[in-house]
Amino acid sequence: MQKSLTSQRRRSLMLAAAGTALASPLTALAQAGGEDIVIGGSIPMTGVFAFAGIGINAGMQDYVKIINDAGGIKGRKLRYVPEDTGYKVDVSVAAFKKITSQNKVNLYYGDSTGFSKTINPELDRNGNILMAGASFATELNDPKKYPNQFLVGPDYTEMFGILLKHIAKEKPGAKVAFVYSDSEFGRDPIEASEAAAKKLGLNVVVKLMTPPGSVDVSTEVIKLRRAAPDYTIFHGYVLAPIPEFITQGKQQGMKSKWMGTFWTMDSSTVMKMGPDGDGFMGVMPYRYYYDTEKAPMLDKIRQMRPEYQSTAYIQGFLAAMLFTESAKRCLDAGKELTGKNLKTALNSIKDFDTGGLIGVPITIKGNSIPVGRVYRADMKAQKMVAASDWIAL
Amino acid sequence: MRIGTLKETYVADAALFDSRTQKIWLVVAGALLVLFPFVASDYWLYLACLVSINVASATGLNILTGYTGLVSLGQAAFMGLGAYTVATMESTMGTPFALNLLCGGVVAMIGGLVVGIPSLRVKGLYLAIATIAASFITHFLFANLSFTGGTGGLSIQPASWFGLPLDTSFRIYWLIVPVTLLMLLGAANLFRTRIGRAFIAIRDRDISAEVLGIPLLRYKLLSFGLSSFYAGVAGGLWAYFFRVVTPESFPLLMSIFFLAAIIVGGMGTILGGVLGAVFMTMVPELLKFVFDLIPGGAGLTVFLSPVRTIIFGLLIIGFLVFEPHGLAEIWRRVRRYFHLWPFRN
Repeated sequence: MQKSLTSQRRRSLMLAAAGTALASPLTALAQAGGEDIVIGGSIPMTGVFAFAGIGINAGMQDYVKIINDAGGIKGRKLRYVPEDTGYKVDVSVAAFKKITSQNKVNLYYGDSTGFSKTINPELDRNGNILMAGASFATELNDPKKYPNQFLVGPDYTEMFGILLKHIAKEKPGAKVAFVYSDSEFGRDPIEASEAAAKKLGLNVVVKLMTPPGSVDVSTEVIKLRRAAPDYTIFHGYVLAPIPEFITQGKQQGMKSKWMGTFWTMDSSTVMKMGPDGDGFMGVMPYRYYYDTEKAPMLDKIRQMRPEYQSTAYIQGFLAAMLFTESAKRCLDAGKELTGKNLKTALNSIKDFDTGGLIGVPITIKGNSIPVGRVYRADMKAQKMVAASDWIAL
Repeated sequence: MRIGTLKETYVADAALFDSRTQKIWLVVAGALLVLFPFVASDYWLYLACLVSINVASATGLNILTGYTGLVSLGQAAFMGLGAYTVATMESTMGTPFALNLLCGGVVAMIGGLVVGIPSLRVKGLYLAIATIAASFITHFLFANLSFTGGTGGLSIQPASWFGLPLDTSFRIYWLIVPVTLLMLLGAANLFRTRIGRAFIAIRDRDISAEVLGIPLLRYKLLSFGLSSFYAGVAGGLWAYFFRVVTPESFPLLMSIFFLAAIIVGGMGTILGGVLGAVFMTMVPELLKFVFDLIPGGAGLTVFLSPVRTIIFGLLIIGFLVFEPHGLAEIWRRVRRYFHLWPFRN
């Protein structure tokens, strides 16, 4: 009898505990953030994109700290709430739902093109969130279809545009090759860029699509050598198989200049190409951490973090800066922080000084910032050095 | 307490739910499922829908791998076929969602039958490798066919129920969860029929099954067909849930996820597929809540995220080591414990 009573008591205690455990997340959800301005983030801190996610996270965190240390925006503090996504769209959406259920979110950072597309109807319905992200997909650069989102730089087609403009200036009528991966990311700018090249009087001699994750590229290199381009632009990769292309191409006597787009262009990535990567060029919308040109914001970053910070870091940092600027402009105008108002505020940004993160003052008319610069790898100095002036489209 | 179940007829013996306690719990569970959307936040509703879709697909794979013994790594590809069928029909013809889901299932089933053909010759790991091809072929088709929207994929309108768009987690819950329950009921009933028993016979020893008069060709293909029908419908629900379908939405890793789910949950039991899918989807999310309790805020997330992934991996290994029959067996043990409770514990 005694035993049964104790068991009964234990059972009721367990039930109560289970009840509390179940209820606690639900009650936590009911609490809305107070006066803080919340920046939510689906950030890939594990998985294939973690190399960028960790940098983005640090950049956002640092900028939020700078603003909060200076008293916030009109007395309101910024609060950054990140969640790891592992770079999976379903987990990323779950993170979005979790963060928005627990906080009154005004600004959000997404981790992939897939997520940006999937969450778009939700953003439209919610109406209170302005979102930026790690994606530079051309499709997102459409204010009608994606009214509450923007890209923290040029879209992939614009990146190609910047490279092509540079090529047309350096060598008019040059022969250009496009090498890209068979993925959404890889195919993104190809069609539009071929037309853009034609307009600039350039000759696209070959377009090579490699299967995703391909390692052996010898047959593609032979095709590339036959086309004998003056410039080869890689897109849709981070690093592999670009070094294989360059090494084999050089061994076979190719004289092409090699180029890449944003996700290849972090200094640490390019330096992994080794001696063959010397002279590798590409488009970068931001200054590198170690740039010596005048940039007060970079000085501040270097003060906060004495060790090298990736271009993903700068991207996260700039995203937080543009978020903050939009919120500030909204509050200054006495407007509510809704997605529409925040976007209007973002689009009112004209000749804005990013503290040198981007070398020229920026104006955001639509969903992108179509500015960039061509950098070149100097393997001796182990640095990326400017190869052009800032190019605006 | 329950000391035994008296069965007086064959029908009672073959019943899915044989005791009153079971039926009472079933009613309670049903009531909870109905009440859940009214009390849960958007986040929990989202997870409920996601779990539900995964349960449907894992149950399909369980029919094939758990009950028929044919290992497949093509489940995600079949889901893709279902999702693309639904997306294409919804965006081009605007047909009702019930028809779209059914067609999604049928198209996936046809895909499953084709992929299942090698199963007549190869078994085990060899078959698993053969089914991987499905992933690559479907990826190629989705990326290159004219009507699949290329690598950018398709965006679709929400399913609509008499003009009401099912565009929130709350609304689509009422589509996804009932369909999944229906599929679960179907699968549970399948193994009370000749077909289901034939699957089990093939799993246990295919040559003996043939000797018993079970045509292997027909039943193996039937198992592939049924399994991929489940995947197709689950894929269709996935398409309505996320409303963007791209060739990269259904990677090989997703097939491994479902295989892991039924192994962790317990192969060859309906409950195993359910528990496995719940475990694989929910544990990483619940671990986030556990880690949220650690003070330190956003600053620590970057260090704790990999730790969380490692713990999830260790949990899977732990379950496999300590209970190779999966979560379903643990569940059964717990139930047995309560059968005689409070007299023997």
